[in-house]
Parts: sequence; structure tokens; C-alpha cells
Amino acid sequence: MSDAHSAQDWKVWFAENGPRLRLIARQWTRSDADADDVLQEAFIRFWKNQRHLPGNPNALVVTSIRRSALDLYRSTDRRSLREKTVSADADTMTWFEPEADPRLQALTDSLPQLPDEQREVVVLKIWGDLTFDEIGEQLSISPNTAASRWRYAMEALRKLISTRTYV
Amino acid sequence: MSEDYTEIESALRSLRPRSPGPSVAAGIAQAMQTPSRPAAPEKNIILWMSSGLATAACLVGVFLFSRNESNSLSPEYQLVSAEQTPAAVDILSPVELSDGSYARPVRLLWNNTTHWADTKNNTQLIDYRPAQQLALIPVETY
Repeated sequence: MSDAHSAQDWKVWFAENGPRLRLIARQWTRSDADADDVLQEAFIRFWKNQRHLPGNPNALVVTSIRRSALDLYRSTDRRSLREKTVSADADTMTWFEPEADPRLQALTDSLPQLPDEQREVVVLKIWGDLTFDEIGEQLSISPNTAASRWRYAMEALRKLISTRTYV
Repeated sequence: MSEDYTEIESALRSLRPRSPGPSVAAGIAQAMQTPSRPAAPEKNIILWMSSGLATAACLVGVFLFSRNESNSLSPEYQLVSAEQTPAAVDILSPVELSDGSYARPVRLLWNNTTHWADTKNNTQLIDYRPAQQLALIPVETY
């Protein structure tokens, strides 16, 4: 990840980090379109107001994404929420580019099947590049709980991959 | 339960998340062209609070030395220096905002010092101006 504290052009930083940030936004939204909206708002806020602040820029931008997702959730009425929930499952397979390796493809297919609380820990650790301490702060849980969810997720993914690859 | 997840972690890192839609970059580009301004109070992320402190902390020093009493020409100041100190960062305790959410205030403090001089009559003008910026970092509580 490039240094967000430097004065480099935002396009370079976004081109490098946009896909993983979108995946993070997707964990807290109901559709790809919502994830794009959340990412756009969060990135603008981060880049204009927060990137010069001290601390880990990863944690800052993830906080901004989570805040935008929460704002979107609060601003959406119940009816549209219900409609989006019904259609949400249809695009869970579009989180990743297709993989030629069957094992990797099994992994991309398995990740959306994890429970939400486990999957968001996996995404924040792998694509958010956060520590368990930082994940705990983001999700308002203890670092031990974050680590525990990570272990459960890894075990679950192992089983899911084995099932998809060898059955 | 095995604790070695190196292989599966490595496989996860090799996956390639899809890129955002083209409208995202276009929207960001449009927003970047407009100057940033503070958000509405309920939605504040950054609050600029420089005016209060600035009005209370302006110090002007003037020293006038004249060897020739007949030299009563109006001063001709030249800028000598303009300096800004590195910002000190204070991370404060979280506070509750008006919309019920929580945020952690971060305060930046620095000083601006501008120095002018008039070599004709040896007059110096120093403007010392402390400044601060208060930023609110959202704290998620669920």
C-alpha cells in the first residue's frame, strides 16, 4: 500500500487500493452498487480530511468506510432494505475476479458463505491489513474475540474448500 | 484445532477483489475539483475552530529606534521571515455527538510567526499567532 500521508495524486492511491477497499465496503452493504456509493463517499472524506492525520491510514480509511456504510443503512427505509436483502445474494459471487485455479475459485465461492461476523474479520485482516487490536477497535470487540473469529473462519474455509474441491 | 493457517491465508491474499465501478472514480474526481469545506454540524468530521483562539492570541511587538529625530518618513516594511511550527497532536477522550454517535477529538496546535523589518528606521514588527484545528474521528459503537 502506498503512503497515504504523501502528497501523491489520489488516482494512484485509489487505483492501487480501490479494489480491496470496495471489498471491505461490500461487507457492510447489501449490493455492489451500495458498496460503490459507500466507497466513494468514504474515500472523499478520507482523502480530503483525514489522510494527513497521525496513525495508520488503513485504520482511518476503514473507519471512514464503516461510518459511510452505517449512514447509508440508517438513511434507507425498511421497504427498500427488504427489497435489497432479497436481491443481495445474487451478486455475492462478484466480489472477486474469477480464478483459473480450482482451489482458489473454491475459496472465492466459500468466503461469502462464512457467517458475517467471521467474514468481516477475515476481510479486515487480509484486505484491510489490520491487526487484531485494530480490528477489535473497528468492530467494538476485544482482540481475543477477533482472533477467535479468525480461527473459526479459517477452519470453516478449510472444510468448505475441501468439500468443493474433492467432492 | 490446528493453528497453522499460513497456506489458506496466503491463498486468500492471492485473490483479486473486483475493482469499483467506473462511476466511483468519476464521482471522486468531480469531488476533488471542488474545495473542501466543513460539513453540517450533525455530520461533522472536521471542525475548524481557529477563530476563537486566534482572536485571543495575537501578539504584536513593535520596537522603534530612531537616531535621527527628523526622520519621520512612513515605515517601509520588508518581510524577513514567516515560520510555522510543527503541529502538536492531542488525542482527547471520546465524546457523544448530537446525532447520538461517538467520536474521538484530535486537536492540532501550532504557531505562525511572521517578521517584518524597516531597515531605514530600524523598526521591527513581529506577528505571533497560535492556531489550532480540531478533528473528530468517528468511533463505532456497535
